[in-house]
Amino acid sequence: MNLSRADRSARLDALAAQYALGTLSPGARRRLAAVARADFAVGAALRDWEFRMASLAEAVPGIAPAPRVWERIRRQLGLAAGEAARDAPTSWWASLGLWRGLALAGFALAFALGAVLLAPVAERPDERIVAMLSAQDAKPVLLVSADRAGRFLTVKAVGTIALPADRSLELWALPEGKDPRSLGLVPAVGVARIPLGAPAGITLQSVPALAVSLEPAGGSPTGKATGPVLYTGALQTTY
Amino acid sequence: MSAQTLDRNATLADLLARTALADQQAFAELYRSTSSHLYAVALRILREPAAAEEVLQEAFVSVWHHASAYAPSKSQPRTWLTSIVRNRCLDRLRRRDLNTVTLTRDNDEETEIDLPADGPSPVDMLIAGAEAQSVRDCVQALDGGQKQAIALAFFQGLTHAELARQLGEPLGTVKSWVRRGLERLKQCLERGGYAR
Repeated sequence: MNLSRADRSARLDALAAQYALGTLSPGARRRLAAVARADFAVGAALRDWEFRMASLAEAVPGIAPAPRVWERIRRQLGLAAGEAARDAPTSWWASLGLWRGLALAGFALAFALGAVLLAPVAERPDERIVAMLSAQDAKPVLLVSADRAGRFLTVKAVGTIALPADRSLELWALPEGKDPRSLGLVPAVGVARIPLGAPAGITLQSVPALAVSLEPAGGSPTGKATGPVLYTGALQTTY
Repeated sequence: MSAQTLDRNATLADLLARTALADQQAFAELYRSTSSHLYAVALRILREPAAAEEVLQEAFVSVWHHASAYAPSKSQPRTWLTSIVRNRCLDRLRRRDLNTVTLTRDNDEETEIDLPADGPSPVDMLIAGAEAQSVRDCVQALDGGQKQAIALAFFQGLTHAELARQLGEPLGTVKSWVRRGLERLKQCLERGGYAR
């Protein structure tokens, strides 16, 4: 290929941009990475674009990784035990990163649907609302379900929950663009019914997700979540 | 850039410098103040907690060993860390593509979990994410198709082919959106004096 210097540099820049954005095909990506290791100019072009791209990532809402990640890093590097994984002091609502977490709930839900929901024959299986609430490690903990027309939610503990005696678990609806709304207290073991003021389909309209926070016994005294959010999950309609 | 942001960057740069000197406390503090953001970035691209955790672990192990490679004149500390994580995620994603490409390409699409439509859209996040006003203006200035293609690729790690499928546009169109969009982004950033 007989490219002028300017052409070559423009083409390299375009490739580097696509590399950093991540849109190159797997093969092209590998080839370019190999060239970059050998050629300083190519490597520098890649890094420039990686920085440009990374600077756009600021708005991704944070999600605290499980404490085990720090433990693994610490062990792999042979560092002294410390308390690094302590939570950053951000407001629970702002730091929820829920929208990102929700995608993951899909996995848990797929299993749950097979195991739990398909067992009893629902009268109108197309009108059920379910949410699998999971802890940060994505382990399913609570299954919330309701008939769209029913006036209660069924909450079933499917995972192990260690709940101190002087604390309660409170379930919250997280409506789009509005403050969380308390739905009631949920059990750490067994099954409970939470009564609703209106049919579930209406109560949970425009509510894409649910969350459970740790509150003083009897529930939040303020009407807003005061403790840490333990579990979250997306609401899904089953067909 | 706000005073708070400058402060935060100065603190992170200081922590990186101390990490380069094998200061374990500084390293722990660095992890504490950046791991949520980095984990979220990884999770968005990889969509599997286990994979995102592994990338986070690899990235911090690498930071511990190579913190001295951080050059304050070239990028903000947070940007540097994000680029390490993003790069590892993309490598992993493309490796996965290579392994599955022949067998299950189309079935894969069916079972792939989508991010909920109710959250902020990738375009919104791209605009909101550009911290400096100049960067935000540059993202805003892109055409609709360019903006959307770049945002989807950026936040969900889609390839050209996947973008074309998702946006329902011919591959050539999508490729040219991405290429022109990136060109314009760069020119605009350079005009605004935002080097990196």
